[in-house]
Amino acid sequence: MAEITFDGVTKIFGDDIRAVDDLSLHVADGEFMVLVGPSGCGKTTALRMLAGLEDITSGTLSIGGSVVNNVLPKDRDVAMVFQNYALYPHMTVAQNMGFALKVRGLSKAEVAKKVGEAAAILRLTDYLDRRPKALSGGQRQRVAMGRAIVRSPQAFLMDEPLSNLDAQLRVEMRLEIARIQRLLGVATVYVTHDQIEAMTMGDRVAVMRGGKLQQCDTPQDLYDHPRNEFVAGFMGSPPMNLLRGSLESNDSGLALVLGSQRLAVPSNYATSHQLPKVDGPGVVFGVRPEDIEVLEHSGSDSLSTKVERREALGAEILVHLALVDAVGNDAFVVNDSGAVVSRPTTLVAKMGPRSGVSVGDQLQVRLNPDHFHFFDTDSGLSLRRSS
Amino acid sequence: MSTTIPIPATPTFAPKARRMTLKRRRQFAGVVFALPAIALVVCFIGVPIGQAVYYSFTQWNGLTSTWIGPSTWTQAFHNTNLWTALRNNGLLLLSVPFALAIPLGIAVLLHQRVAGWRVFRSIYFLPTAISWVVLGLVAERFFAYQGTLNSIIHALGFSHISTNMLGYQSEALIALGITFVFTMIGTNTMLFLTGLATLDPSLEEAARIDGAGRWRIFRSITLPHLSRFIQLAFVMTVIALFSALFSLIFVMTGGGPGYATTTMEFLIYETGFNQGDFGTAALYGLILFVITGIVGVVQLRLIGSNE
Repeated sequence: MAEITFDGVTKIFGDDIRAVDDLSLHVADGEFMVLVGPSGCGKTTALRMLAGLEDITSGTLSIGGSVVNNVLPKDRDVAMVFQNYALYPHMTVAQNMGFALKVRGLSKAEVAKKVGEAAAILRLTDYLDRRPKALSGGQRQRVAMGRAIVRSPQAFLMDEPLSNLDAQLRVEMRLEIARIQRLLGVATVYVTHDQIEAMTMGDRVAVMRGGKLQQCDTPQDLYDHPRNEFVAGFMGSPPMNLLRGSLESNDSGLALVLGSQRLAVPSNYATSHQLPKVDGPGVVFGVRPEDIEVLEHSGSDSLSTKVERREALGAEILVHLALVDAVGNDAFVVNDSGAVVSRPTTLVAKMGPRSGVSVGDQLQVRLNPDHFHFFDTDSGLSLRRSS
Repeated sequence: MSTTIPIPATPTFAPKARRMTLKRRRQFAGVVFALPAIALVVCFIGVPIGQAVYYSFTQWNGLTSTWIGPSTWTQAFHNTNLWTALRNNGLLLLSVPFALAIPLGIAVLLHQRVAGWRVFRSIYFLPTAISWVVLGLVAERFFAYQGTLNSIIHALGFSHISTNMLGYQSEALIALGITFVFTMIGTNTMLFLTGLATLDPSLEEAARIDGAGRWRIFRSITLPHLSRFIQLAFVMTVIALFSALFSLIFVMTGGGPGYATTTMEFLIYETGFNQGDFGTAALYGLILFVITGIVGVVQLRLIGSNE
């Protein structure tokens, strides 16, 4: 078991395709680190460099304190679970799991013992004589896990191992992988594009975009304090509502101007955040869907909205709300195309399943003033002062 | 006064007594669709085989045939040329492993994307696009006493060594075998390259991470994956060996010296068209057909394939 360190690691494909750009990341011994991001963000390339399947253009990569930039995959003592499982189709489950041990020259008895132990952990004992094609998706996934754990490697590398499973099985295997990782206490780097997997499985989550690390934090910190607009929009389902507005000062204090409406901003934000000057270039305002509630009456901390769409999910309802002005027309909210992330002109609110809202309803909604987020309009960075 | 409105008879949708069930209709359709293929097979394979069996019991000069019974059969098996041709076919089978191993090695190297692999791929495939008659002519010039092979040997400084492989009974078959291997390289290399292209690269990557080196990956991952392609190449090569060598032999050696390079296929031609004994030639054709069939069935059984 060992810690893993990326130190300024860069990968350039061809002449100028910068897949991973100056990645610095530390994975502690026994830690479950999730690399998450959209397609093409460089997360898989980073994992493949760690496995030794891709050369490193620059920077230093260490496993257990040893620099492994020029170490062959077979000598890195890491185990990898591939997206498509990469099970050897002509071998049985037992042979698949024991292949690495056999290559390392262990005796048949030792191989059988270790394979048996791993199979018991993964509940695969009854399937050891089967070929991969005779297994279900979940069983194949467990065999791929078994092939990794049977070696007792220094680190587990997992490249979207659940993406080929159906939704129900994915939830089961999510728990299973987390259980096994905790049981074995091996440093794990897990790549996914699914932010729910990232949030539920990782001790820490590293969000990547365009080859660059955006933020690495615990799931809750990522959710509560996104460092930039991208992280705010990527983490959470549905993601944070991001609207462009401007700040103004009036008799009752600071207010956020969204189209023709004004929303009171608690005074503590002036100290906890580096807010732009009043009547300045504006600000991107963020609020989570669960921080929006329906009010009976209007107030300074509420907005007038109209229900545009209603998505019933069973346990909750997602309500899409368009901001309206005082006479009920849709309000104009700046939606600058080509921005870091899309900034829609509607808010999405989570409501209880019994909420009797219908499309076309005019709703007065309150945004939880304790959980406002502000981002710079140009850089997209959070304006929150670091504590 | 009441009127009675006649009620029309309720239409019935009971199936006709003779209407076929869906299963039987499907079976019938299957037979109908298979009929053209069956007719072609019967016309172009079944009938000629039947004719060959018939003519093997006749004395046939190509125009008129006279029934002579099984005497052709008893005489044929006392003919030493038949046994020589069968032995030559057997010895040429020894070239099959080379006709598989060399293309396999080339394909694996090309698959590694070595420098210039596209050019090499075209070069190796070239023999496939050239008529075997032309290849035979080139090979004949290569192995001739004043041919390319001796020029190369002399250029390497071994001027005291000269070969004439096609001129000696003991070496002509080897030259033929080498030429046959050369002609099969393109086809088999392409076949193996196709097989390698279907190999999931993540399997190799998984094996690398599992600690396997290049040889181990080839032996444990690549070769098992290619087994079906190797089976196919094996069957195609053996069939070519038994039934497609005629043009090479005709151009390179004419079956000689003596009968040193006469195979069953060439013996059929020799007996039929040079000696005008089509009845015996038909019998030899049947023997070749049976041998090819047995080899085909045995090799499929050996490699455990039912496809």
